[in-house]
Order: sequence, then C-alpha cells, then structure tokens
Amino acid sequence: MSEIAAALSIPVIRHALIGMLVAGSTLSLLGVVIVSLHLTAIRFTLIHVGLLGAAAGLSLGFSSTAGAFTLVLLASVLMGISGRRMSISASSVTGLFMTGSLAGAFLLLSRTGVPAMEVFGVFAGNILLMTRVDLVLVAVLGVVVVAAFVLAFREIQLVLLDSELARSLGVPVDLVTSFLFVLLGAGVAAALRLVGALLVDAIILLPGIAALRFARGLASALVLSAFFGVLACGGGFFAALYFDLPIGASAAAVSTIILALSSAVSAIQKRG
Amino acid sequence: MMPSAAVTPESLVGVTGEPLIRLQGVSGGYNGKAVLHEVSLAVRRGELVGIVGQNGAGKSTLLKILLGLLTPMSGTMEMFGRRIRDAGDRAWMQKRIGYLAQIQEPPAIPVTVADTVLLGRWGRSFAGLRRPGAADREVVRRHLELTGIAELAKRDLRSLSGGQRQRAALARALAREPELLLMDEPTTYLDKHARNDLMRRILDIHSESGITMLLVTHVELPGREFDRVLHLDEGLLDRADRTDRTDRTASDEGGAP
Repeated sequence: MSEIAAALSIPVIRHALIGMLVAGSTLSLLGVVIVSLHLTAIRFTLIHVGLLGAAAGLSLGFSSTAGAFTLVLLASVLMGISGRRMSISASSVTGLFMTGSLAGAFLLLSRTGVPAMEVFGVFAGNILLMTRVDLVLVAVLGVVVVAAFVLAFREIQLVLLDSELARSLGVPVDLVTSFLFVLLGAGVAAALRLVGALLVDAIILLPGIAALRFARGLASALVLSAFFGVLACGGGFFAALYFDLPIGASAAAVSTIILALSSAVSAIQKRG
Repeated sequence: MMPSAAVTPESLVGVTGEPLIRLQGVSGGYNGKAVLHEVSLAVRRGELVGIVGQNGAGKSTLLKILLGLLTPMSGTMEMFGRRIRDAGDRAWMQKRIGYLAQIQEPPAIPVTVADTVLLGRWGRSFAGLRRPGAADREVVRRHLELTGIAELAKRDLRSLSGGQRQRAALARALAREPELLLMDEPTTYLDKHARNDLMRRILDIHSESGITMLLVTHVELPGREFDRVLHLDEGLLDRADRTDRTDRTASDEGGAP
C-alpha cells in the first residue's frame, strides 16, 4: 500500500489516475449511445481513422495523437452528414471510412518513410505520457458529455428510443444525432490517447453494455455506466500499480470482468 | 377512379365549417419524383377519416406531409386554419398533432411504459431544460387508464406484448392532447385479438373525445364506424366513399349529403 501511496505522489501517476477516473465516469456514457443507435461498427471505424490520423500527424511532422484526434473528430462529423444526406447505410459508411483509412495510412507510411511501429503506438496508448493539457482536454470533454445528457436528456432519449417518433414530435433529430456522433468521435480520440486503440472499448463500450443489463431507464443506464466506467478505470489503475501491469490492459481486463459478471447476474435474474 | 385533382376539398367534405386539414392540389415525393399527385383533401374538426391504399400508393408520403416531415412539391396546405409555408409553421403544427405509427421493434434501451407515454408530451409542455411537471404526470396517468394499461405503468416497454406496446403508443399519442391524431397502419403485425382490441379502443376514444382522427392503412376498414373512407391509388386520392355514419351525421346536422 505504501508503494501505491508513493507512486501517487508522482505527478505523472496522479495525472494518469485523474484522467482515467474522469474518462471512466464520463466517456462511458457514450457506450449507451453506441448500443442504442447500433454504432458498434462506426466506433470501430473511428479507431481505424485514428490510425490514419496518427500516420498523417507523423508524416507532417507533428504528434501522432494530435493527428489522430483531429481526423477522428472530422470523420465523425463527415460520417454523420454523409449517412444522413446521402442516404447511405451505416455499413456502407463504415466500409468506406474503414477501408479508406487503412489504405490511406499504409500509403502515407510508404511514401513518407515513417516507421510503421511509431504509428502503431497509437494502438497501445500510453497514459503515463499524459500531459496537463491532455488532462484538461479530457476533463473538458467529460464536462461536455455530461452537460449534453443533462441539457438535452429528453431529446436524446427520444432519438435513442425511436427517431421516427422523435421527428414527428419536432425533435431536431439530425442535429441531436450529429452532435452525438461528434461526442463519440471525441470520446474515441480521447480514449485512444489514454488506453490505445485496442482498448478503447474498455472505457467507452463495455461499461455501457453492462449498465444496460440492469438499467430500468436511460437515466439509470447512464448512472450505472458511469459507475462501471469508474470501477473499470479506477480498479484497473490500482491493479496495474499493485501487480506492476500496463494500466490500459489492466483497465480493459477489469472492464471485461465487470461485463462478464453483469451478464451472468443478469442471466440468473432472468431465470429466477 | 376519379383523380382528386378535379375535386375541391369542399366537395370531399360536403359540410360547412373550417376544416382542420385542407390540402389543395398537393403533390409530394422524394428526389424530385412525385409519389402523391395533386391531392385535395379536407377534414373537418371531429371527423374520423380512413384512407385505404395498397403499398406504394402514397399513404406514407401523405402522412409525412401532414406530419410536417416532408415539404409538398406543389399545392397548398392549411392545418388548423393556418397556411403551412415554412419550418416555423410546421413546428407550430406539430404541437397539435399526435402520431401513432405501426408497431415498432422494441427499443434497444429500457424505458418504462409511463416514461414512454410522457415522451409524447415533448414540445407540448416540456423540452430541453423545461422539465415535465406534476401536470404532465397526471396527463400520463389519465391516458394510461384510458387505454387500459395503468397496471403496466412501471413495466419495461420491451417486456410487453405487441398489442400492449401499441396501446402504450396510443396512450403516448393521446397524452400530447392533440387536436388531430394521425395513424399509420396502427394494427398491422398485431394478432387478431390485439388488432380488434386496438381498433375498438380507437373508435371508442373517438366517440368519447371527438378528437379528429385520420387513419391510413392497406386493409379494408369497418366503413360503418368511420365518417369517411377514402381510397388512395398510385398517388391519386379517390372521391369520398360516404358511409352510413356520414350520411347520418350530415343529415343530423342538416349538412349536404
């Protein structure tokens, strides 16, 4: 325990803990959106776009994180618009962006001579490299995510439940959906920085799925999602310190355990 | 069939008084291609009107126009006595309309029956930071009772049968306290018992409340129960098919047959 206390006295470790807790308690709310709007393929696409962004960032001589963040945000806006205005199905949009991103990334790497391993660092992430600015950005994003759900709770609820009904009532469905896409893009980009592309789901998706196993409404789904997110990120962080493990992988393991346990408990409840 | 282009709305109604819906020569469609051709239709306050048409006849296009979700390609549209020209008019109109769609797949996220009914009041009494109040809860309670699902108020909508879900959808549409209830194939995909039960409730609620109702469907309607049943075929609206009930009503009121 004293080792953990000693570790927490180091600013980098403290930043990492705060970053994980903020992300776990706020970005996890987006998991409920992903499940409700069937966006699992889209979030996977955004991860691939992050790879292209990282390649572009390195090729242009700035950071892979900034490149990934910028391109993922841009792609989420474009995907929202193209899917809506051009009446393209989600799977077509996904195929277009995912394949295009991978092709673009490999072409960029081959033309500029940037070592591929540097780009693939985005896949692993490194929370211990998190700066104060990174932390502020994650906190601001967290506040925006929570504020969106507080300010437009009923509008988001209507869009998630039945967009046709929402439209007939006069809810600006396209605006709400586009905004949720942007939040999702920003959330994926932030999670890329924290835990890497391979473990984005640990923060964003899995807590939401686990929450929906028990929730009785959108409000309780969001609260439970935040709770499971904090449990996964906080639990993963301290387990990593205690057992000397990588933080991202440790958080992902805890998140997976939470989902497995919640699925089991939910199944038992249904049988009972 | 006589296309509606040659028929004025007044001749379709056959009665005096300000119509709640007045379409004149309205065409509508998608990507510049008309699906609905110069439809003229008038529905007066308190009427129960059915529109029957096969798939692709333009029923959904007509409903989308009436719901303010699709701008007519040509023609004029008046709703509740106001000419509908722009987004502001459509938003004004949507506050006065309740909508019952055909049965939907259960949602991906949980929602209680009471909460889904409450959502029908969005834009009417709450939106954004304006939260639902006690009056809204009371309206919800009343309409849950009216549709016979008060005991299901706390149940997850996803756990209900199709018939129960449609009754919840009807309660939601009515909880908006609309002047006009638009219904799109409300009984489709329901079993016979649920279909009859829902239709009976709709007819009873119309008799008791007098809400103006317009129902579109691809199946024949119980004509005697409706004020008028119109037919829509390839985007053309047929002349009114007058029923016994219309004749009786018109006669009682001294209106033209």
